[in-house]
Amino acid sequence: MSFELMLALSPVLIVVLGGAALMLVEAMSTKKPDVDESASSEIALGTAMTLLAGAVAALGVWFYGPENLPSAAALAPYFVLDRFTLFFTFVLCFGGALAALLAGGYLPEHRLDRGEFYPLLTFSVVGAIALAAAADLLSLFVALETMSLGVYCLTGFRRGSTRSTEAAVKYFLLGSFAAALTVYGVALIYGATGHTDLAGIKSVIRAFSANAGDPAVSSRLAVLIVGMVLVIAGLGFKISAVPFHMWTPDAYEGAPTPATSFMAVSVKAAAFAMLLRVLIGGFSDPASMSWSAGWPPVLAAFAVLTMTVANVVAGRQESVKRMLAYSSIAHAGYLLVGVVATVRSSADGQGSVLFYLLTYTFSTAGAFGALVLCGSRGKEAVTFEDLAGIGKRHPAAAAVFSLFLLSLAGVPPTAGFFGKLYVVKAALGSELYVLTIVLLLNSVIAAYYYLRVLVYMYMKEPMAGAPIAVPMKSGYVAAALVLAAMAIIGIGLLPGSSLEMAIKAALS
Amino acid sequence: MAAYVPLLILFLVGAIIVGAMFTLTSILGPKNPTEEKMMPFECGSDSTGTKHVKLSVKFYMTAILFVVLDVEVVLLYPWVVTFRETGWHGLMLMAPFMALLVVGLLYEWKKGAMEWER
Repeated sequence: MSFELMLALSPVLIVVLGGAALMLVEAMSTKKPDVDESASSEIALGTAMTLLAGAVAALGVWFYGPENLPSAAALAPYFVLDRFTLFFTFVLCFGGALAALLAGGYLPEHRLDRGEFYPLLTFSVVGAIALAAAADLLSLFVALETMSLGVYCLTGFRRGSTRSTEAAVKYFLLGSFAAALTVYGVALIYGATGHTDLAGIKSVIRAFSANAGDPAVSSRLAVLIVGMVLVIAGLGFKISAVPFHMWTPDAYEGAPTPATSFMAVSVKAAAFAMLLRVLIGGFSDPASMSWSAGWPPVLAAFAVLTMTVANVVAGRQESVKRMLAYSSIAHAGYLLVGVVATVRSSADGQGSVLFYLLTYTFSTAGAFGALVLCGSRGKEAVTFEDLAGIGKRHPAAAAVFSLFLLSLAGVPPTAGFFGKLYVVKAALGSELYVLTIVLLLNSVIAAYYYLRVLVYMYMKEPMAGAPIAVPMKSGYVAAALVLAAMAIIGIGLLPGSSLEMAIKAALS
Repeated sequence: MAAYVPLLILFLVGAIIVGAMFTLTSILGPKNPTEEKMMPFECGSDSTGTKHVKLSVKFYMTAILFVVLDVEVVLLYPWVVTFRETGWHGLMLMAPFMALLVVGLLYEWKKGAMEWER
């Protein structure tokens, strides 16, 4: 391996080697004699540092310029090193690092202190990066499974809890089913086009539209369309778009909260990276992108359903964690609007999705982190009632929670506002007026349930005799929240440079 | 597409034969159930216990260890056969793979996956 290739792959190598080293450290470390637990909080810090180092390395390669590293092109199409990959590497590593920091506080507090959490998390991030980089359906599938296997285990991490086990089994069964659908679709697409790499698929589809009348072409076209439908269904499951969203609330609620944060942030970002790669890389010819015969109407319907159903149901939840789970489904709907906007201008649409994912990462990881902060052992803040009066008793915890919720709701000057602004701008640029109106109406519904948390925290007193949530004291959680809050305010005040990076990534 | 029509016919004929056999035996066959006959058949001896048996996790550990090392061998054989042609380049590519496997093996060992009696 040449030095140049090492430099190009440094973000992935850092995460892989760091994860392997930390896994060995955890296995070799002597256990405390009195409890059957390993000292894992230190490993949380190590994992967070590894993942942040991966994010910094991605930034380094970004500024060095992937075009200056031609030997990395030898890995294409299995691992494409472009600005798109690097942008996602940064987002995914950052999401993973925040989850690791949250776990460092959460796991010991809830007596789940087992070191396995961190290698699973790290290797899931590796799979997620590979997923963002894959431009071949085969390596895409391997990466998808690498990412998912770790997350299935993380979901069932609370082994004693039936909720957590149910969530893991549900997620695993439905996830495997969706993966099987995807593979079946990939097989059909390969059968129809003779290619697994997306660029090759695209060129064959172009040739199909050139001689459309040929009966041999029309029968292969039928196979191709069935394959495309199956792949889109599999992708829809991973991004939890509405007809395929049933697993999401249960899996998110049953998983330990740091794992939920990771699923809502990094797994979703990786799934959107995969969606964009497949649609823009393989199916962006005029016929596949047309409103009469292609994927835009399907994804537009997903977007409308996802936003509306998720927001209406989220407003009826009594559990804050479940509300946040539905809110993350709703955000997938907003993101789908950006994906549909790629029909007119690929750069604007993709750029808005990428920038939205960046802001969404910090807001959602922060919101789940604030939920972790608001509950200590045996006194978890589960329902809205549990949060009553936190604003008076623990103003700092309530203040950060409010910041993240306002960012999710899209209130200026937080990062979430600019994320939504650019998705709306891209949608209007593509003349998607109906989608834009639905998005704006849904933002209003969403504001209701985000603000409801604020109302409980600041304006209500806990009922007499009700259990009162006590915020935990953990430097790890505090560090994660400070990082996320700084990012939200930073992007909110100066959105220019990160937006420029998102558009640059979309253009690559 | 026309090439697949015989295959489709094969599937249909197969389904019809199997379906016909099952329906005809249930319609035509004499029915004289006794308690003895309705019991689940288990090699001629009386069945014992429940159908859900809890297996020790050790079996799964061993199976996973086997699969990992088995797949490793699948990848090692082609490398060994082409060792002269691939030379140093092949060795450099296989070395990280083997190193990662050793890391996994060390982890399993330290976590006690190989201790049968515990």
